[in-house]
Amino acid sequence: MVKVKVVERPPADLVVQSWVPELWKGMKVTGRHFFRNVLTGKGIVTSQYPEARRPYPPRYRGKHRLMRREDGSVRCVACFMCSTACPADCIRIVAGERGDENEKYPVVFEVDFIKCVFCGMCEEACPCDAIRLDSGVHRVPAYTRADELSGKEDLLSLGTLSVSRQGGEFK
Amino acid sequence: MPTLTIDGREITVEPGTRIIEAADRLGIDIPRFCYHPGLPVAGNCRMCLVDTNKSPKPVAACWDPCQDGHVVTTNSPRVLEARRAVLEYILLHHPVDCPICDQAGECDLQDLYFAHDHRPSRHFFTKNHKAKQRALGPQIVYDAERCINCTRCIRVCDEIAKAPQLVQVQRGERTYIDVFPGTQLDHPYSMCTADVCPVGALTTRDFRFKCRAWLTHGIDTVCGECSRGCAIRADVYRNEVQRLVPRHDPEVNGYWACDAGRLAYHRFEAGRLEAARVAGAPAPYAQAVREAAEALPGAATGGVAVVLTPWMTCEDAAAVVAMVRSAAPGAVFAVGGAAAGQADSVLVKADKNPNHAGLRRVLEAAGVVLVPVDEVVARAPSLAALVVLGTEHAQADALAAALRQAPLSIAVAALDGPLAGAARIAFPGLSPYETDGTWVNEAGLSRRVRQALVPPAEARGYGTWASDLADRMGRPLAGGDAAAGKGA
Repeated sequence: MVKVKVVERPPADLVVQSWVPELWKGMKVTGRHFFRNVLTGKGIVTSQYPEARRPYPPRYRGKHRLMRREDGSVRCVACFMCSTACPADCIRIVAGERGDENEKYPVVFEVDFIKCVFCGMCEEACPCDAIRLDSGVHRVPAYTRADELSGKEDLLSLGTLSVSRQGGEFK
Repeated sequence: MPTLTIDGREITVEPGTRIIEAADRLGIDIPRFCYHPGLPVAGNCRMCLVDTNKSPKPVAACWDPCQDGHVVTTNSPRVLEARRAVLEYILLHHPVDCPICDQAGECDLQDLYFAHDHRPSRHFFTKNHKAKQRALGPQIVYDAERCINCTRCIRVCDEIAKAPQLVQVQRGERTYIDVFPGTQLDHPYSMCTADVCPVGALTTRDFRFKCRAWLTHGIDTVCGECSRGCAIRADVYRNEVQRLVPRHDPEVNGYWACDAGRLAYHRFEAGRLEAARVAGAPAPYAQAVREAAEALPGAATGGVAVVLTPWMTCEDAAAVVAMVRSAAPGAVFAVGGAAAGQADSVLVKADKNPNHAGLRRVLEAAGVVLVPVDEVVARAPSLAALVVLGTEHAQADALAAALRQAPLSIAVAALDGPLAGAARIAFPGLSPYETDGTWVNEAGLSRRVRQALVPPAEARGYGTWASDLADRMGRPLAGGDAAAGKGA
């Protein structure tokens, strides 16, 4: 058997039944907050979006970006690790020949933001620090499915130089 | 007949059998690079070292013949250490560029490293740099840094294609594979060198960088480019054939397939007839079936001719013959097909159609007497209806002209072209990679063709088309025929 504790309702005495003192009590609380917010501005938790935006936390996963090499070309070697790891299957890559010692590069690198769940698996799978989700840029929704696709140029425009060495030094 | 024991299991083999073959028969895995069951033994990679009671040192299982009373151990500590040492040696100058290597995922070196070595390299000097992305021929690109010099590719050229075009150049760690000066690797089986390559040294231009090996799923089917009917596997990703690779079929093609057959899938990548057409205008499939079913029985008295294709499966052929005969009992049949071409002494046959033998069997069983295609073309003006199946006809232009002359002309075509354009009612058909059924090769061996791709929404196989037409005419195909037709 579950123990049931019966709580008696507080008695509605004459003071409560006349409601004016109780109303006054409530208006005091409301008024305190009103004047504090209007006069001092302290304690407002509402952010005035979109005029004022809260900064995202440092590890926020925003729009993908493709990093660049020293010579400005894309770091990606089109190894398909990201699209293999992607649980939403939202990355489409068409690989091409670079013609130098780096051999392979993405001719097409497309992220379908309508499918993407921003899990960061692609970033984790990338062996050459080419794809990152640390742009801090929020994905802007679009009206058509085609506009949800973000191509290589778009992703590269957010990208900066990365000088990380693949695998690092072996000690 | 020597009897030997491998890892405690006894086996009796024919004299001359190598230890590695006996182990394969027992299902005991001995790692190997240079050994290939379809090629002569080279014994140069030393990966298959095993311990035996007849030798003080580990021996190469691919080279040593089985002897009576042999006791072979494939997993003793000494053997495992030997494998590690061999792998470390092979990997000394290997670039380990797996992320950009097309072989990654199906690489013997990668797999064996994880199975047997799995430790970092102790090599602290600069690695040897060799030629990268070197085109050995129109189909093959060579990466000398990845090459482990197992010489499988050389043996394929020498022994299978009988075209000794590849050779090992230099010695020791500078060794690489090359063509003779001024020549290139261009024999009709050159892509087999990439198949047998255990690492990513040889890649085909066709598949290079196109898709990663682990993303594809393979469908076992049959090549249709000649009447040899080589067993192939279609590797598919996102409903597109990425490549065709030969499968092992000892009675048909061994381990090999020709380049032409492996590149044939490109033909069906573009120019498909996607929707049915009635009098030149796109129409729903159901409407085209209705029009054809209404017109065909009426034409029966005026003479109906049907041109079959030796690319259709036996099941489809049976269904089409049954449907046509029930609609027009006096219909005459002809078999078109691609023109005969060059044959060679390895695999390629002169008949460039996959199922002439099967079609012949089906038509004989149905008691169909064939007329030549030329006769159908000549009689076209006097025919009431002409039905042409398939597009791969040598006399396609003449048949297109005949289709224009016949009052009722029907074509079933996977590819848009002169035939689909000339017919009054054109139905979209299936490519060989969207078809299920049976082909019989020139040697009389029937082999299963399996559907690898999802066809365009409106496209139907010949059998399904025949069955739909028969249903619409109110004469459904009888049990066996109907079942055969629906299956396609």
